[in-house]
Amino acid sequence: MSSPEVYQLAIGTPITCHAFNKDRTQLAVSPNSNDVEIYQKGRTGQWELLHTLAKHDRMVTGIDWAPNTNRLVTCSQDRNAYVWDWDGKKWEPNLCLLRINRAATFVQWSPKEDKFAVASGARLISVCYFEQENNWWVSKHIKKPIRSTITSIAWHPDNMLLAAGSTDMKARVFSAYIKGVDSPRTYPLWGEKLPFNTLCGEFGSEGGGWVHSVGFSPSGDSVAWVSHDSTLSIAHGRDSVPVEVPTGGLPLVSMIWTSETSIVAVGHDCTPFLFALRGQQWEVIGKLDQGQKKAAASSSAFKMFQQMDSRAQQQNNEVELNTTHQNTITCVRAYAGSPDHVTKFSTSGVDGKLVIWDLLSSGMAGLSI
Amino acid sequence: MAHRKVNVDQYADEDIFVDENQTAQGSTAVSAQTEADVDARAGEVRNYLSRGDTPAAVIKALENPPAGREVTAVKDKNTATVMSALAAARSTDILAIVKSLDSKQTDVLMKYIYRGMASPELYNAAVLLAWHEKTVEVAGLGSIVRVLTDRRTV
Amino acid sequence: MPGVTTDSRSFCSQSNTLRPYLAAVRSTMTASLCLTNFSSQVVERHNKPEIEARATPEVLLNPVLISRNESERVLIEPSINSVRVSIAIKQADEIERVLCHKFTRFLMMRAENFYVLRRVPMSGYDISFLVTHVHAETMYKHKLVDFLIQFMEDVDREISEMKLSLNARARIVAESFLQQF
Repeated sequence: MSSPEVYQLAIGTPITCHAFNKDRTQLAVSPNSNDVEIYQKGRTGQWELLHTLAKHDRMVTGIDWAPNTNRLVTCSQDRNAYVWDWDGKKWEPNLCLLRINRAATFVQWSPKEDKFAVASGARLISVCYFEQENNWWVSKHIKKPIRSTITSIAWHPDNMLLAAGSTDMKARVFSAYIKGVDSPRTYPLWGEKLPFNTLCGEFGSEGGGWVHSVGFSPSGDSVAWVSHDSTLSIAHGRDSVPVEVPTGGLPLVSMIWTSETSIVAVGHDCTPFLFALRGQQWEVIGKLDQGQKKAAASSSAFKMFQQMDSRAQQQNNEVELNTTHQNTITCVRAYAGSPDHVTKFSTSGVDGKLVIWDLLSSGMAGLSI
Repeated sequence: MAHRKVNVDQYADEDIFVDENQTAQGSTAVSAQTEADVDARAGEVRNYLSRGDTPAAVIKALENPPAGREVTAVKDKNTATVMSALAAARSTDILAIVKSLDSKQTDVLMKYIYRGMASPELYNAAVLLAWHEKTVEVAGLGSIVRVLTDRRTV
Repeated sequence: MPGVTTDSRSFCSQSNTLRPYLAAVRSTMTASLCLTNFSSQVVERHNKPEIEARATPEVLLNPVLISRNESERVLIEPSINSVRVSIAIKQADEIERVLCHKFTRFLMMRAENFYVLRRVPMSGYDISFLVTHVHAETMYKHKLVDFLIQFMEDVDREISEMKLSLNARARIVAESFLQQF
């Protein structure tokens, strides 16, 4: 089993989000602060700090790196988003007029990189496109019928539909068709006439919790989301009843599709989980981080029984967890492979670590993904 | 602005989050039919207990819980039924009963365990703590998380 | 020996429920400590603990109560970015009530040094903690839970010890006073 590559980027500060460039030689990271740090992979294989982009006044909540046009977009709790262009020597920020009056929570480039969408606490999504005459990014709002902060968004592979998860317990699919940028399209599963802000599907479970992360499958036919009631849900088209996969662990907060029939999700359990479609059923396959048993420190038997009796603690009073990540994993991204066959993925978390996992040799024997 | 008692935003804002479970017309509001169900179920659970069939009593008691935000007499009655079934189980049988329940039933069981512990003057907390320990062993922390997030409280 | 209170208020059944009680508190706390940074939806550029602000009902979760008996309870009120934990300590008689009140007041006046302690307890409880996502980011979550469980145990022990020493001193004072007669 090839062990994951672990990089401790920040000691004592969480990594809020991360994004790689196209050839994975550079990494943009938000270390839970107002700045964005760009790291370069040095000759020693470690990540070295290259640039610090300091323009935001509040914590940076989302970063996305467009692989083909090599542009960065960052959004922050100060209600702003900037698009950064690399002019050969430094990163130049361009202001985007989001017109939101609350914090931005998440941002993602569309697959063709001509638009990006920003989720916000103002209960709306700002879809931004570039206006050539004034040389800035302008936005259109998706507002109805969202009732609470949007936590996460994901683009459909065809550049037109947008999935959004919100703290009003619902996952929705909207049309983000912009005249002049997109050409109109119809979808058998999501609908026909789809002007901007059309609701193509609204999903929620009766006892559901806040939706933390959404994603479209590689073909765009299914949408999946993870919510705070420790479940992964998948819906296939606008009229389907979502399939729910409850887990016995703590809630998951981020997910990616690694193929048309498998999903990797991460969360408060500090380890990535693999879900797969077996036959007709979606199932939890298992944890991708089995954890190493730390060598037991020589504590007396008396102390061990004392702890078991008084504090209901079964194991030794270790400070470190035996998983690779020591705290919640907040962000997972595909690292290598194509969208319908991801071979490696990267995770970053509250412990300041960036870890790259190899999905194929992760030891899940007998798995046909 | 502590003297302002009224939240004016709720009148101006059509898109504010409304908890459907909290309104009297919500889908989980208690109706007359629910009351009849609860009474019928109480009777059946009593039958099972008098015959000594505790596992079946527990499964029956956990069916179709009346849920929703309002505290009503119907929910209290159903809670009493569930508590009587849980208290009748022997501590050695608890693990086996919990293992035989499916995911939805364990979630309902966990909701009732917490509901029972909320009234320590009515129900024996020691019994509920034993049930809690075994349920977490079988269903994991996910069942507790679902009790916290599910707005259909019992 | 830890885990068994040493004075007359311990019966066999009491120490039997201590372990499952602490286990239940531990698992419920772990489940409610899944906190994330959540910017206020009501005021721009503010970030408040939602369990205290209570301005956005959808981000609050159901409060749960774990009770060992009528006088020992723990109330856990979770939300998206903060958790409030309130503990009701067992107070069997007047002296224990006074001791508990003094002890918790001493701690709460120094709440800043504790980071997670609330300066005022919730009504009906003796002491309250407020854990926010900042604490969950800077401290290990499982160690936070360990701290709370350790605290619950230690408070009981401290109050018993204080009561014993109080009684012992009172006896010595009374004896030496009455010797002159």
